[in-house]
Amino acid sequence: MISIVVALDLLREAAARRWFLALALALTGLLILIVTSLRLEVVDGALAATRLFGQPLYHQIQPADVALRPVFLVASQVVFWGGLCFGVLGCADFGPALLSPGRIEYLLSLPVRRWELLLGTFLGVLALALAGAVYASAGLVLVLGAKTGVWTGWPVVSSVLAAVAFGSVYAGMLAVTVWVRSAALSAATGASLVLLGLLATHRVALLEVMGRGVGRTLFAGLTAVVPPLGKLADAAGALASSAPLAPGGLVRLLAGTLAFAAALLALAAWRFERRDF
Amino acid sequence: MSAAFAATSLHKRFRTRFGRTESVALDGVDLEVPRGEAFGLIGPNGAGKTTFIKCLLGIAHPDSGTVELLGGRPEDPRSRARVGYLPERLTLPGAWTPRAFLASVARLKALRPERSGLDGLLARVGLAEAAERRIRGFSKGMRQRLGLAAALVGAPDLLVLDEPTDGVDPLGRVEIRQLLAAELARGATLFINSHLLSETERICKRIGILSRGRLVRSGPLEALTSVQQRWRVRFAPGPPLAPEALLALGFEPAEGGAWEIAAPDAPALNRALDGARAAGALLVELERASRDLEEVLTEALAAGAA
Repeated sequence: MISIVVALDLLREAAARRWFLALALALTGLLILIVTSLRLEVVDGALAATRLFGQPLYHQIQPADVALRPVFLVASQVVFWGGLCFGVLGCADFGPALLSPGRIEYLLSLPVRRWELLLGTFLGVLALALAGAVYASAGLVLVLGAKTGVWTGWPVVSSVLAAVAFGSVYAGMLAVTVWVRSAALSAATGASLVLLGLLATHRVALLEVMGRGVGRTLFAGLTAVVPPLGKLADAAGALASSAPLAPGGLVRLLAGTLAFAAALLALAAWRFERRDF
Repeated sequence: MSAAFAATSLHKRFRTRFGRTESVALDGVDLEVPRGEAFGLIGPNGAGKTTFIKCLLGIAHPDSGTVELLGGRPEDPRSRARVGYLPERLTLPGAWTPRAFLASVARLKALRPERSGLDGLLARVGLAEAAERRIRGFSKGMRQRLGLAAALVGAPDLLVLDEPTDGVDPLGRVEIRQLLAAELARGATLFINSHLLSETERICKRIGILSRGRLVRSGPLEALTSVQQRWRVRFAPGPPLAPEALLALGFEPAEGGAWEIAAPDAPALNRALDGARAAGALLVELERASRDLEEVLTEALAAGAA
């Protein structure tokens, strides 16, 4: 319960930050731009014509739901990777701000357990990521649904995968912050995890071309535990565009990602409990 | 009377990141503060005052020794729920209003943030008119007042205040003293850490002096500042007194036209006074000679350094 209070306070704090106001304005502006500039003519469930800023885009006549699949696929990738990059930069300061002198002492004097503070911060950032991803994808679904009559919830579901992926990255950022209170180091950790997650996606292929040695062993070890973010992004794209997806594979992927985040949070909590402020 | 808190043989050392050097912050501190008292902890910078408070509240972990806070352990949130803390420098959320900040503190204390109660707290610390303003525009004194209001959320049994009047103007200090007196009258225990000795003297009835991590003096303010076996007397102006006569009786000139005399007991004191009266002096004032807290601190630090 206290973790929820901490998370809500973090959301209130985020609402006052220029970064997040700018993101909300940018997403809203983009959706308004799509509403005003994109004209879709749907006849008997088929997309007959598409105009963007008055210029024709598509000439083929095809079912509207089929025509929208690539749009949702691209949107899901923008939300996934764009959200990860924005989150790494925009959320790097939340952990260091929590641990800032004059704030952490006060928070620890309150009847709050240390792990509750840490979990609350994590949940707050996760909620922020989820809200941004869902806002963007749900907005797009609403705009395109109103214009074409095609209503689907999968792009919104796929945005949840983006938030989960960011959650695993942020758990690493938060864990590092508990050791060293630095927004720059937190952001660097996040960027490294995104890069490692991308490399982990192509782990097998990369290991085949790498020569034996310490570097290969290190790479093999690191990419074995870091979630393969590329696979998660592919799964998010497949969900958004209603493409077939092996359900067992997604469950394993999600379970691994959540386990990675939980392990990092447990490590952070272990250190946080022992640290003096 | 049970203790608000009791620290026993508290040791704390800080090591650098690579463990090469270390400094002793607390070196076997024993301190017990009864409930309902106002206790002031004084000492020079780096004496370990803030570290002591942090160990008291579970913010830092002592290397050895024990702390009992309101009958429980500092790590137990139930104990800390009954404590109000004002850190030396409190970082406040600049984009929030003071009311929103106090509401957050109330929620973190598992209390319902009633608007009337929060406004009442803001009024008590003189911030009623600033309730809707953003904290980022507050002066240092206003931030200090808001920190004090946050410490008062939930009417805590123990108030731990680190430099409570720092940055507050003289009139504000009077208001804060009145507020703390009201808290004391309510039954709260005050534990004040301050470098402003005059403020500590005015609020606290008991004092502890910390030096190099050790509690070198502790006790009632009166006992610490009084000088045993010395009395300060003042004679009425009028018939000119021969100072030689008073000097011959053992009186020594003191500040402001007063005189001081050393007397091991009441008969010796009365003999000296009788002698002075016989010499024509008219006694108008008699009190035990005392020093201010600064002198006590200086002496205690010198003794601690020896």
